[in-house]
Amino acid sequence: MQAMSPATLLVLVPLLPLLGAILTVALGRRLGPRGHLPAIAGIAAAAVVAVSLLLGLGREVGIGDAGHAPTARPVEMVTTLWEWAGVDAAYAPPAGSPAAADTTRADGTTELRSFSIPVALRLDPLTSTLLTIITCVGLLVAIYSIGYMHDDPGYPRFFALLAMFVFSMTMLVAASNFLLVYVFWEAVGACSYLLIGFWFTKPEAAKAAKKAFLVNRVGDFGLAVATFLLWMTYGTLNFHDTLSADGTILPGILGQSRIADAAGYVGGAVGTAICLLLLLAACGKSAQLPLHVWLPDAMEGPTPASALIHAATMVTAGIYLVARCAPLFVVCPDALALVSIVGATTALVAALIGTVQNDLKRVLAYSTISQLGYMFASLGTGTMLGFTAAIFHLVTHAFFKALLFLGAGSVMHSMGGVIDMRRFGGLRRLMPITAATFLIGALALAGVAPFAGFFSKDEILAALHSKGWPDAHGEHHDAAPASGHAALPLPPEEGRPGGNSAALVHFVSRMTASSESASTVPALDHPRTWQTLFWMSLITAGLTAFYTFRAVFMTFTGPLRVPDEAGHHSHGGAGSAAHESPPVMTIPLVILAIASAVSGWWLFATHALSTFLAATPSLTVPAVTATATPPAFHFDLALQGTLAAALGIAIAAVGHLGRRSDGPQIERFLGPLGTLFANRFFIDQLYKGLVVKPLEGVALVAAAFDRYVIDGLVDGIARIPLALGAWVRHLQSGLVQRYALVGVLGTLLIMLALASRLR
Amino acid sequence: MNQLALLQNALVVGAILFSLGLVGILTRRNLIVMFLSAELMLQGISVSLVAWSRHHGDFGGQVLVIFVLTVAACEAAVALVFVLQAFARTGRLDSAAWQSLRESNLPRRVDRELPAVDTVPPTFPRLTPAGVLPAADENDLLQREHV
Repeated sequence: MQAMSPATLLVLVPLLPLLGAILTVALGRRLGPRGHLPAIAGIAAAAVVAVSLLLGLGREVGIGDAGHAPTARPVEMVTTLWEWAGVDAAYAPPAGSPAAADTTRADGTTELRSFSIPVALRLDPLTSTLLTIITCVGLLVAIYSIGYMHDDPGYPRFFALLAMFVFSMTMLVAASNFLLVYVFWEAVGACSYLLIGFWFTKPEAAKAAKKAFLVNRVGDFGLAVATFLLWMTYGTLNFHDTLSADGTILPGILGQSRIADAAGYVGGAVGTAICLLLLLAACGKSAQLPLHVWLPDAMEGPTPASALIHAATMVTAGIYLVARCAPLFVVCPDALALVSIVGATTALVAALIGTVQNDLKRVLAYSTISQLGYMFASLGTGTMLGFTAAIFHLVTHAFFKALLFLGAGSVMHSMGGVIDMRRFGGLRRLMPITAATFLIGALALAGVAPFAGFFSKDEILAALHSKGWPDAHGEHHDAAPASGHAALPLPPEEGRPGGNSAALVHFVSRMTASSESASTVPALDHPRTWQTLFWMSLITAGLTAFYTFRAVFMTFTGPLRVPDEAGHHSHGGAGSAAHESPPVMTIPLVILAIASAVSGWWLFATHALSTFLAATPSLTVPAVTATATPPAFHFDLALQGTLAAALGIAIAAVGHLGRRSDGPQIERFLGPLGTLFANRFFIDQLYKGLVVKPLEGVALVAAAFDRYVIDGLVDGIARIPLALGAWVRHLQSGLVQRYALVGVLGTLLIMLALASRLR
Repeated sequence: MNQLALLQNALVVGAILFSLGLVGILTRRNLIVMFLSAELMLQGISVSLVAWSRHHGDFGGQVLVIFVLTVAACEAAVALVFVLQAFARTGRLDSAAWQSLRESNLPRRVDRELPAVDTVPPTFPRLTPAGVLPAADENDLLQREHV
């Protein structure tokens, strides 16, 4: 290891799972029941490398080193593997864009820019944190899958896909280029599609996979257009700075030179458009309103895949994207506020729906949507606290949500595939380890004091609180230059030196006609907005505790009840009844439970994560660093959060503790609201009516057009040679004399022709 | 007879032979007769070739005729085998017996008037067994002596 440079190690992190995937594909059938070996070896090696990179980078930043204080300077390392596409002097930036301003020579002519897409990987605190989470949780989930997926006919296929996903996801967070991000954004989507539809013979699974893929396309469209706009605006797609041939620095979009430049980022309409498109992309991948509908259905996939992809890692790609693009967002306060509004609304709506779900995995799915909403709400504050809190919550959420999903999988495994909470109960006697670890996960999710979720949720609430009541949090807020409150009547690009704002507005209006209105609508970034969001988040915290403990009580307490299907699941033991899961499944649960119990406390007490993340180049943009506050424990907020959680748990206990729970009690209790929640706010029906049905109509018309017009045309043309053939076929009579006659006449004709030519 | 007249006469003979063969091949359905007609055409051509050869004083034409004869001999062997096989399959020498090789949806050609079948069984000449002294016929002997 000592001999390897960090660049080599960084390349190894995605490469090893890729090798594992390829080996599994090549050898899968031959390995038989050991089909998991290449994938797990690849992911495990990647996890080791990722942790060593994290430790190395931590030392670089100065975490845990008593000798010197953490650096405030950005830390990043970029390694370019090869040039994917490159055309010299290919492109003249459109007049009026900042890229044009950079390339205009003194004599007024424009220098042609080179089009260059390098395959470049980056290492910085944000990437390193996510690499560690992805590979470590991926490893635990893969080990758990040995037990969960045993005897499945697609055993090697599952592990190949899992390793492929780890490869794609590590590439996504390590890519240092928007085009590469787009490629692997699609790649994780493809892996997700394949894993949701893993049991593709089941119609629900096939439908859910299709739904996830199609809904994600909407977000992917946003990312594609955002990439085009970024290219038009900044003339590059690289995150990092690059050196041109003559030694000048070409600033990347998120490069340190642009971040240091006060006027490096475009706000106003075009900046807002980019941010909104990026937000659309993030909403698709991270299942936020209004594109959240795919995630609950994605639970049709195998539970380990749900745990890894649809809870811990892939769905956090949107969080990563927004955090990575923080400098783009902080110059557009309205877009940033919208991030929070979308996040907090999603958190509340998903939590409300989650309260009436009876499917254990669906409760967790809505909880995931809700927690991702929390992260978005936190990102949208645009403060250092908000960004680090979102990533902090991402980390702790990865632990406890993976734990809860794997616990649910353990229950499902034991119950013979039954996941409806009304059909089982009192399982703590049968499955003590699962019950204990699930309880720890639930406490972490509910935000109960010493567990992980408490600390990260507290920081998110603090971030929202500091925006809603800026006076209560010191004077720092007034010093924020670009993310200041919407007292700014004009878009920030008015302040750009260079004075090309008129041209820029023209440029913008040409490209995004609708975004002109961004400067005329009342500003979203208002303390009252943030106060509302804070209260919404606090209510969500209570709801989270309620539905989590409702699930815990329904599943693990009360009289022991086991569905009939559980009896059919024989696991090699003499007794074929329901049982605790094998150690290969419970050990990952225990490890995750320990992580869920201590990670929040440890990361909060040492401030290791927030200090570490502060060295991410994207978060060193002055608008963010100006909002940095000394780490503090907000006692009043913690008290409010704990009270909300306690209230939620108490209501759940009143409703469900120790009772048979096989009816729609909560729906009946809530009345019409219960119907609304149980039908998921009728959003699916709305999409069905507004999108699916009209599209089906169009498809019907198109199919008819194809069948009758296009096919008719083609068939008509095909009938011409048929008719000709029918006419000519009389020649082939089977009578030799006729043939001879035709031959003779033909010869005569040729001779006549020759004779006439000779004459 | 001058050279031109000789050429002309030979060419007329060749043309007559060729035409006879052509008419034979177009009108007869008996495989053997068709084959013979083809040979006739070949010989007609050969005659004209020889005639031209002589007219020009060039032996190329005659050499070609020798080749034609050789090839015709070979071809006769092959063609007769085909005829034999065709007969073995259908039991008929009629080329129309193979009209099933026509396009599948065309109607079968049926002869409008079938050739009359001989009611009297044909009589074949009886040949004397070879290598045996023929038994003397009294009548014959008597007549011979009269001759």
